[in-house]
Amino acid sequence: MRLCGEIEVRDREETLINLDPIQSGGRLTADAMKAVIAYGDGYSVCDACGKPFRLDHIKKPPLDAFHRDLAAFVNMDVARVVPGARRGFQAVTHTLVEPGQPVVLTALSHYTAFLAVESAGGVPREIPADGDHRITGEAAAATLEAVTREFGSAPPLLMVDHFDYQFGNEHQVREIAKAARQYDVPVLYNGAYSVGILPVDGKALGVDFVVGSGHKSMAAPAPSGILATTGEYAGEVFRTTGIRGDRTGRTFGVKEVEMMGCTLMGATVMGLLASFPHVRERVTRWEPELENARLVSDALASIEGTTILSEVPRNHTLTRTDTTGSFDGVARRHKKKGYFLTSALKDRGIGGLFPGATRVWKYNTYGLTRRQAEHVASAFREIARENSIAVR
Amino acid sequence: MVMGVSRRAVEAVFQSLFILTDLRVLLRSTAPDHRLDEAQRAGVRDRIAELRREVDAIEQELLR
Repeated sequence: MRLCGEIEVRDREETLINLDPIQSGGRLTADAMKAVIAYGDGYSVCDACGKPFRLDHIKKPPLDAFHRDLAAFVNMDVARVVPGARRGFQAVTHTLVEPGQPVVLTALSHYTAFLAVESAGGVPREIPADGDHRITGEAAAATLEAVTREFGSAPPLLMVDHFDYQFGNEHQVREIAKAARQYDVPVLYNGAYSVGILPVDGKALGVDFVVGSGHKSMAAPAPSGILATTGEYAGEVFRTTGIRGDRTGRTFGVKEVEMMGCTLMGATVMGLLASFPHVRERVTRWEPELENARLVSDALASIEGTTILSEVPRNHTLTRTDTTGSFDGVARRHKKKGYFLTSALKDRGIGGLFPGATRVWKYNTYGLTRRQAEHVASAFREIARENSIAVR
Repeated sequence: MVMGVSRRAVEAVFQSLFILTDLRVLLRSTAPDHRLDEAQRAGVRDRIAELRREVDAIEQELLR
């Protein structure tokens, strides 16, 4: 089915149980879909924009209150919406990092964290992960000490994920922030896989910046996200323009430099806004999500030759698994090769895995109903048995 | 009201799209077999009845 020309309708979510590792938390709520219908036109939120002409001052739709609600949601003082978490990282690196200065991130940091450091001219230094693929406070302290000795002064920023994109493992943010405070280093918390799906309290964690992703975890269209900070850093990262045209003498009011003025002016911010009441409520239901994640990871682990590479029991719905000793053995002799697994899952109404992957792959169960999670768990076991793999 | 504008037709079009959106979300939460329980079936009946009323309003307003 096509919506026009060569553009096909995307009906993956309506026809399959989608296990794609990056898509589940960004699936729109019904209200966000309705917002996209009503606010799809370009500058649609600007109908009632008046002085001082900035997104976070618009009262209709209620974006001014939304910005305050977002800050409160992650227990920080000031928040802005940004075009994806990556632009939140970039706003912070551009504010705090001078060319040649080191920035501490981790061995599991997302590539966009590196690019944000690179775009500011910074030099990355990674906190190593331990043998269980976790970033500890102890390792952060050792890295901060080493970097401070190497560069002759403490780094201007440390960036850490609460849950990383590779394993979905939980890292010791509170302990890492505590170590950073010993060196007076501000901490950016990457909540791309947490803000919007589980409770996040920036001040309790002791961090200075909280970044969230709208399209990854807040049921919003891409690109969207949030950057929240403390009163201490708000004036720096959200500093207003001071530039003046040399011929015209023009100035640009209260536009914020790192935000490049206004950020999300249509369907993206309205999707975030419309989903927000649901998002605020759904973070309180993290435990049932973990139960579903464990149901599926237990099913996979029960298949001989399969290993869950993420921490067990699962503390997140994103999981990395190794089926080299199970499904990959089937792939080597199957006429469909690696695609046999994708195909067998599709026959059972399940999709979203990397096509052809039978060795190491990721999936995400976030947002599935219990019935859907049970169906996925049964499907993996069934496919194993059909292919003569023992199931414990 | 702006002259010539059918407020009712505009509202009916949006309402119809919103009802269809609710049905779309139901398809998502019940994928892949779309087997509905009794409460969901009753909800669908209600929504379709509302949708019919909205489509009737569009017809009345635009083809009068």
